[in-house]
Amino acid sequence: MIDLIQTLGSGILVGLVYALLGLCIVIIFKASEAFNFAIGEFLILGSFLFYVLFFNESLPWHRALPLGVLIFLFFSYVLFFDIDLNFLIAVPLGIAAGLLIFCFLFFGLKLPSLITSPLIRFMIALPLGLLAAGIVGSMVERLTIKPLLGRSPISMTIVSLGLGFFLRGCIQLIWGSHSYSFFLDLPDITIEIGDLLYLSDPIWAGILSLLTFGLVIVFLFRTRWGLAIRATSEDQSKAMAFGINARFILMIVWAISALCIAVAGIMISNFGALQVGMSYVGLRAIPVVLIGGMDSIGGALVGGIIVGICEALAGSYIEPMGLVGFKEVAPYLLLLIVLFIRPYGLFGTVRIERV
Amino acid sequence: MLAIENLRVVYHDVISVLNGISLEVKEGEILIIIGANGAGKTTLLRSVAGMIDFYDGDIIEGDIKMEGSSIKGLDAADIMKRYGLTYVMEDRPVFWYLTIEENLGAASFSRWDKHVKTDMEEVYEYFAVLRSLRNKRAGYASGGEQQMLAIGMALMTKPKILLLDEPSLGLAPLITEELFSIIKKLNESGITIVLVEQNANAALNIGIRGYVIETGRIVLDGKAGELLENEDVREFYLGSGEKERKSYMDAKRYKRRKRWL
Repeated sequence: MIDLIQTLGSGILVGLVYALLGLCIVIIFKASEAFNFAIGEFLILGSFLFYVLFFNESLPWHRALPLGVLIFLFFSYVLFFDIDLNFLIAVPLGIAAGLLIFCFLFFGLKLPSLITSPLIRFMIALPLGLLAAGIVGSMVERLTIKPLLGRSPISMTIVSLGLGFFLRGCIQLIWGSHSYSFFLDLPDITIEIGDLLYLSDPIWAGILSLLTFGLVIVFLFRTRWGLAIRATSEDQSKAMAFGINARFILMIVWAISALCIAVAGIMISNFGALQVGMSYVGLRAIPVVLIGGMDSIGGALVGGIIVGICEALAGSYIEPMGLVGFKEVAPYLLLLIVLFIRPYGLFGTVRIERV
Repeated sequence: MLAIENLRVVYHDVISVLNGISLEVKEGEILIIIGANGAGKTTLLRSVAGMIDFYDGDIIEGDIKMEGSSIKGLDAADIMKRYGLTYVMEDRPVFWYLTIEENLGAASFSRWDKHVKTDMEEVYEYFAVLRSLRNKRAGYASGGEQQMLAIGMALMTKPKILLLDEPSLGLAPLITEELFSIIKKLNESGITIVLVEQNANAALNIGIRGYVIETGRIVLDGKAGELLENEDVREFYLGSGEKERKSYMDAKRYKRRKRWL
């Protein structure tokens, strides 16, 4: 019995991280009906951006400079064309942003030497890393998805597939493919009651994922911008006709998605080490969203927890019977069963039928 | 106020829909545009509202001017913000999965001011039904309520000129009448209205001027009253002519069409 509670508990904690991954897929799917197959690459990219800030990793100039130039071009473009700033304001701001990024990458942030407490360091590095991830997300959207607005969602899906390979190549070029040790050193909140033992890292992962999930939901359902996003998700042309800039909204959705993926990525890296090959973890989002329903935010949460529990149960009850590696397959088997019974997933939208 | 000069629009680079259309909207009037299906009415409104790109169409010739300056090629949101031009698409463009209040809120996204609440009250004054349904999803509202909501949403954007694309589509005659009286009221409050309609009779009765378009050209224009009297308009759009009803023996087997030019 203790065993079961232990397994369920850790399953739920991991499941919350998966739920966050599912959320990223769901909000993009709602906004553009495209499936983002590059999720695994976004995940490691977000973790690496955080890594650079948190662990004082600096890059040689021939890797930092192109990134700085890229940031400069992107910022000038967005400020000039999307926010309609004057050319003379937009370009210097872009240069400033590019220079800032270059300095960060080339000299490093020197956070570890400035601040000794890991928690405070974490609280500074996390928003910055997430901001960077969000910017990368919006940059990717600008370059690859925006030209396809109004076209079939299938083309966006295929583009995201290619994008994944491209991003993975970029990451390998910049950071190499060896593994980096990733240890956040957050305060120890291990829970030990009788025979039950929950380690600190999974608890932190669960809490932060749930927090991020909650913040995204508050943003979507309680703010003006969230309302505009939900409206655009339903119909881009209608939103445009009522003065919502659908292209800009789509960019924001990608930024939010990249940001959430980064949170999940940091938490997953914290379980072990960070390396390019870890991107397959992102694909765990597929059973999550398909079980929960492709267009349901609540479904992502439930789907994530179901997948987490399923994995944990398979890991502690079926694998010892000699089926090593069954843990990885179990969610997909469950997915198969769910799809047989409910093809739209558990919480797929009940379509409005007027009578 | 709004002038369209020799506009030509092509979809997918090959399908020519508007073939050099020119027209003018004067401030404070209700302009009626009637025409058969496929004449290019919706395309005309889409090009004016800056949404033609989205449907893979191109303006290959001509110009659209709003108060003297060209708005060709501008983004839909820009045109709305700068010139107060709002386009209400056909087939009740409301967000089905949002509540009615959220719909009105979403429509006011383009303005950043604090008067949204009072404006919402104003919309509820115009359309009393909406107030009682405010927390219901728009998808469950009836057709008439949805169309009223769509116009209410357009009002939330504080338009100076309102393009309405077939507001009477699929509505009962009584509801249509109510809707048109509200449109007339809006016009009296100072909003210029361009109304594209299939229901020519009802539209011409509230209109001031009217155009008839066919295969992407203006073929007839005049005062709304004159158009109502016009023999050809009566026969093709109002379904009644002065002539005696023909015997079915005389009916030709092909569909009768008239060439205007």
